[in-house]
Amino acid sequence: MKVQEQAPIREPLVLGNPSLHDITARIASIVESKISMKYLMTVGFTGALAAWGLFALYYTITTGIGVWGLNNPVGWGWDITNFVFWIGIGHAGTLISAILFLFRQKWRTAINRSAEAMTIFAVICALTMVLSHTGRPWLFYWLLPYPNQMNMWVNFRSPLAWDVFAVNTYFTVSALFWFVGLIPDLATLRNYVKSDLAKKIYGFLSLGWTGSTRHWHHYEIAYMILAGISTPLVLSVHSVVSFDFTVGIMPGWHTTIFPPYFVAGAIFSGFAMVMTLLVIAREVLDLKQFITLKHFDNMNKIMLATGMMVGYAYGMEFFIAWYSGNPYESWVFMNRLFGDYAWAYWTMVTCNVVSPQIFWFKKARRNVPLMFVISIFINIGMWFERFTIIATSLHHDFLPASWGYYSPTWVEISIFIGTFGVFLTLFLLFSKFVPVIAIAEVKGIMPGAQPSHHHDHEHGHASHAAVTEGAH
Amino acid sequence: MKLWKSIDELAETREGASGEFVDGVTAAPVFDSSVSRRGFMALVSASMALTAAACRRPDQKLVPTVKSHQNFIPGLPQYYASVYSHRNVAYGTLIKSREGRPIKVKGNELHPSNCGTANAEMQASLLSLYDPDRMRRARVNTAPTSYENAISQLTKGVTDAQAAGKNVIVFVDEHCSPSYEALMRDVTTNVPNMSFVTLPAIVCDHQARANKAVLGIDGELVADLGKAEVIVSVGSDFLGTDKLALHHTGRFAARRAPEPGSPTMSKVIVVEAAYTLTGANADVRVALHPSQHDAFLAVLEQNVVSGTLLGSDLAGSADAATTKAAREAAAALKGANGASIVMVGDACSPRAHAIGVNINQALGNIGAGRPLDPACVLPYSGIKAEAIEAAVAAMESGSVHVVVFDNTNPEYSADRRFRAALAKVPVRVACNLYEDETSKKLCAVSLPATHWLESWGDAVCYDGTLSVQQPAIAPLNEGMASFQDTLITVAKRVNPAAFGDAVTSYYDYIMARWNATLTAAGAGERGWSKTLQDGILKPSAPATATATMNIAAGSSLPAGTATKGRVIVTVPSLALYDGKYSNNGWLQELSDPVTKITWDNVALMSAKTAVALGVAASTDAKAVAKANESVITVTTKHGAVDLPVWVQVGMADDVIVTQLGYGKTEGGAVHANVGANTYALAMAGHTTSYQPVEIAVKSGERHRIAVTQNHHTLDDGRGERQIAKQLTLNDVKGGKVEDLHEHFPREDGSKNNNKSKPLSIVSEYEYKGHKWGMVIDMSSCTGCSSCIVACQSENNIPVVGKEQVMKGREMAWIRLDRYYTGDMENPNTVVEPMLCQHCENAPCENVCPVAATTHSPEGLNEMTYNRCVGTRYCSNNCPYKVRRFNFLNYNTDHRTPLDLAFNPEVTVRMRGIMEKCTFCVQRLNEAKWHAKDNGRARVLDGEAVTACQEACPAGAIIFGDMNDPKSRVAKARASERGFTVLEELNVRPSVTYLAKVRNIAGSMAGEAAGHHS
Repeated sequence: MKVQEQAPIREPLVLGNPSLHDITARIASIVESKISMKYLMTVGFTGALAAWGLFALYYTITTGIGVWGLNNPVGWGWDITNFVFWIGIGHAGTLISAILFLFRQKWRTAINRSAEAMTIFAVICALTMVLSHTGRPWLFYWLLPYPNQMNMWVNFRSPLAWDVFAVNTYFTVSALFWFVGLIPDLATLRNYVKSDLAKKIYGFLSLGWTGSTRHWHHYEIAYMILAGISTPLVLSVHSVVSFDFTVGIMPGWHTTIFPPYFVAGAIFSGFAMVMTLLVIAREVLDLKQFITLKHFDNMNKIMLATGMMVGYAYGMEFFIAWYSGNPYESWVFMNRLFGDYAWAYWTMVTCNVVSPQIFWFKKARRNVPLMFVISIFINIGMWFERFTIIATSLHHDFLPASWGYYSPTWVEISIFIGTFGVFLTLFLLFSKFVPVIAIAEVKGIMPGAQPSHHHDHEHGHASHAAVTEGAH
Repeated sequence: MKLWKSIDELAETREGASGEFVDGVTAAPVFDSSVSRRGFMALVSASMALTAAACRRPDQKLVPTVKSHQNFIPGLPQYYASVYSHRNVAYGTLIKSREGRPIKVKGNELHPSNCGTANAEMQASLLSLYDPDRMRRARVNTAPTSYENAISQLTKGVTDAQAAGKNVIVFVDEHCSPSYEALMRDVTTNVPNMSFVTLPAIVCDHQARANKAVLGIDGELVADLGKAEVIVSVGSDFLGTDKLALHHTGRFAARRAPEPGSPTMSKVIVVEAAYTLTGANADVRVALHPSQHDAFLAVLEQNVVSGTLLGSDLAGSADAATTKAAREAAAALKGANGASIVMVGDACSPRAHAIGVNINQALGNIGAGRPLDPACVLPYSGIKAEAIEAAVAAMESGSVHVVVFDNTNPEYSADRRFRAALAKVPVRVACNLYEDETSKKLCAVSLPATHWLESWGDAVCYDGTLSVQQPAIAPLNEGMASFQDTLITVAKRVNPAAFGDAVTSYYDYIMARWNATLTAAGAGERGWSKTLQDGILKPSAPATATATMNIAAGSSLPAGTATKGRVIVTVPSLALYDGKYSNNGWLQELSDPVTKITWDNVALMSAKTAVALGVAASTDAKAVAKANESVITVTTKHGAVDLPVWVQVGMADDVIVTQLGYGKTEGGAVHANVGANTYALAMAGHTTSYQPVEIAVKSGERHRIAVTQNHHTLDDGRGERQIAKQLTLNDVKGGKVEDLHEHFPREDGSKNNNKSKPLSIVSEYEYKGHKWGMVIDMSSCTGCSSCIVACQSENNIPVVGKEQVMKGREMAWIRLDRYYTGDMENPNTVVEPMLCQHCENAPCENVCPVAATTHSPEGLNEMTYNRCVGTRYCSNNCPYKVRRFNFLNYNTDHRTPLDLAFNPEVTVRMRGIMEKCTFCVQRLNEAKWHAKDNGRARVLDGEAVTACQEACPAGAIIFGDMNDPKSRVAKARASERGFTVLEELNVRPSVTYLAKVRNIAGSMAGEAAGHHS
């Protein structure tokens, strides 16, 4: 980890000027402290949500997709809406860990660990949705190009086949990136925890990390390479997801603006979800020292920017619908404004375009309750964006005679709630058993971590020795 | 269940038996005799079949048609000609049979009334054959019993009646069987206290009464619309709910498809209160309150007839709109003397029918070779109400000891007085297909009836053509016998001298009669098997009825059955007709072509009527959509029924129309709780009359309706969509058809050319062999819906039920899209059959991740069920939305023996996979094998026929090889009227539509049907 000079005029990224040991002790204590009743009850609750969702999934798989509300014109509904929603959520994690890392944005260190964890959990939820949405989910492996006696491969012209590659790559790379980033901190925990079992587990997971210079050298190269691999994924995964729609010929789907629009939307929604979770984690785990208003300020700026990008995309879609002179296209967009699903469209616009505008004001960007509410709005708005794209385009397409209306059943709603249950349960387990803040990286941005204001490059490694003090 | 009839191995025709060995090699003789090895095997197998059959039942030989292999070959279908009696209309059928079980009913090309086509009911009756709800065993009181026991109870009833000097009445349904008619006479002769009364569920005598008075013919005449250049209908739904609709549709449609060059077509003017399918096909449609119908005819008569006027007292009540419409109709009629017709509806008064005859007579339309041939009388269609009335009086007086019901269900369909009279009869015996209302509630003794596919019978067509109803399978349940067999047995027990020793069964009886007929016709020794083979007796003695004109007698007939103000009429349902086959999923799920409603009957009314009733706040589309499904109590002087409101555009105000055939409470799981029994509202003695009605709104109550095409509330310029294109006859004459193709630059730079392809940047796939394609003529198509049932039967399409239809999951592979055009108060309708378009650039194909849907080298868009994982992406990406997804396991819930109705050539699909029209690929393959067997590389034009095409009475569907320039499909595709739907998407459908042509003034080129309410 390259550490840069901290201009004194800048707001500190860690408050209270703790010592390096304080940081280790503070974060590792979350892992070491006794499991509270409150925690158990929370996990119990989210676990119950997850179990309920899994039951709904079991019911779907054993009875048929017919237990959902889908019908003939509307072949996708909440299933694919949820899939795109969860995949989008993941993008903030990748952006923070990969792109902000390459751009040397030091403020990312406080939030990258939880954002990356969130990425992985969100992709798990997305995979659940996409695997279960097919009519015969037990044949999911037919979507993979494996050698078989039928000599049948997947249809490489289908965006759904591209999706399989995109999402799997995304999951694999994200998981690796997260795990590699965790190694020094796992070693810290190995040294810190008292129980033998925990020591063994953390010891196993830390892969024999000693904190030697050689380890650090390899670690940094590996981390840099993974960041490099992850960076295009930020752009590619959601572009590929958007191809599911753009390659189709449905009015409302078949538009070239989708890839950038989807990527911006994904980052937008991802940051909103990170915000929602961090506001809570910061309170509950008392991390105000590390996750400061400065972090929130930065994240709100990103949300403002990406929110305006999606707002631009919404506007541009209308312009093109009019400009193309395509009656089907223009009708679909008028139908979004005034049709059966107008309520969904206006929910989306209000949440995604209107509500983030408040972040033009610094006071708003640093008002924690407000940003919490806005982040929830954005989560809702981005879900409705996907719903609008999928349902309004499908329910009224080319031939008026085949039009229909779709609304979900309790099963689809339960599955969606269930994915939140899975997501939150995994996040809670993560926050308890894994360092929620990248200890090593935070140490790297402490003023005290800088050995000298006048140093050459070799000294950089010296700082790492200090940073990993807890690991020795 | 096995095929118990042996095959007539003596039949000579053996098409397709091209020989086992190549030419020049003779089959080796066996046993030094002249019998070849092949012949020996045939004899052995046939005699074994005979032996097997003989130990079960007397041998009654069936004869397959010449299309079939005369020897039974497992895996190959056999076709048996038979006849379907649609009440008293005979329609020739071919029954496709596989391994002894009938799997499809289709039309017999040789039969004159339907010429090879089929309607929904006759095709769907196959499903009723295998209906698990059919009565399986006889019942006495509450216990199942043997046939023998039940029949002895009936015999006892008859002998008791004789002893007490009382009568036995047998209520029979409408039929067209001369043998049954003779049998009834013979039974009455032998058992004098036994009499027969025809009791149709729907009684309407008005036409017969008028014909009897003015023509001297006690019966209904069968018009030939193929001979009519101008058709004026007053409330007649001759293309929709009429029994003769199948007969009419083909003849009507033949004159509705003009081609450039010598474009001609008939002109259709429809005056009606409801919005019927006939009205939907009209060039000029006038919505008139029924109280004006008589007046309309009277004014028309004034303007056409110079002699005796029958409606002079009625013309005065005509209002301005009526008079105007009548004058215009008169002008149109007068231009086509001798080649026009006035059709008068069943609901109209006897006088109205007489006026109709008078007008037709004055126009010279009556006579041999004219649209109305007095010789063509519907068999046994004479006045029925009088006999029914007499039976009621007899039952009320207590002189009837026994009533027997032969496929009649008066407890369900008869009026209150009739039912009360039945209750006074001590012994009641039913012989129906189901334990229906009559059987369950009234009858201590109940016998299961046989299905028409299980029984022998015969039928006479209106033109005199005789057919034999040849069974295709033994009765599914042991010990079942047809009612006619039962009658003969009972008659013989009551009077041992009856029928003589030679006749012990109805088969014997029919054979005896037919032998006489065949001898008289000089049909020779093989006459019987030839008749069975063909399905008709050729030549049959022609019908001979003659008219004795007495126009003046019509003036004394009653007129004006419809009062002013709010009225209701109960009409047959297009799918269920009178409800006889209501326990049939195919029919229940058949979407009404006008209302698009399935699984229900409703109270149809205009938007203004809904406002007047207070169920709609305004006639605004949104308010109307809210009014739908609200429940009203409808009360006539005969009874009261709760019905859901459904607003139908184009209806006359203050008129409620509701369908019969629903609301069964007994006898089956399918029709249970479906709709309301509106027979309770109907007028005694004339079911389809307009009656004054009281309506109370049941506020807050709603009844959900399953429609296959939704109402929408936005009016949004959907007219821009060039989907269902229309032209006027003038456009066709003037060659103004170029506007049909406006979207694409073509290779040759022209806009209007079906034959040149749109520009493309990629090289085209070359279809070297066959390239299958279809042409659908929207101008011929009337929307009769036969194709939907044909497809359902051919392709094992599941019935999904009302709940699933409400969710939008109906599985029909071919659907009829209905679009309205013009004035929404009285719109025109365009019906556009929509099925998989088999696009060359199919958008479904490239999006399937597992390549489960692919293109064949013959241009088919093929669906590989086994490979499908069910992502539904293909369906989302289909611009025509013709793909159907098995959301649930619709096919595993089949109760035995319903699965026997499956076509073994077509895979039965499980849940989670997509399906759609295959162009009947199984039939294409069969045609190719046949061609190969005959040493041909290609299938000849007309050898490959899709199920929908085969059934279509209008001949609107043409299918074949587009690569064969001489094929009908290739020629039709080149028609100037041709266009493809959504051509601008460049998906290049293999289905070409021919624009709907209307015979009206002006131009419609460039105007598409867009409104869609």
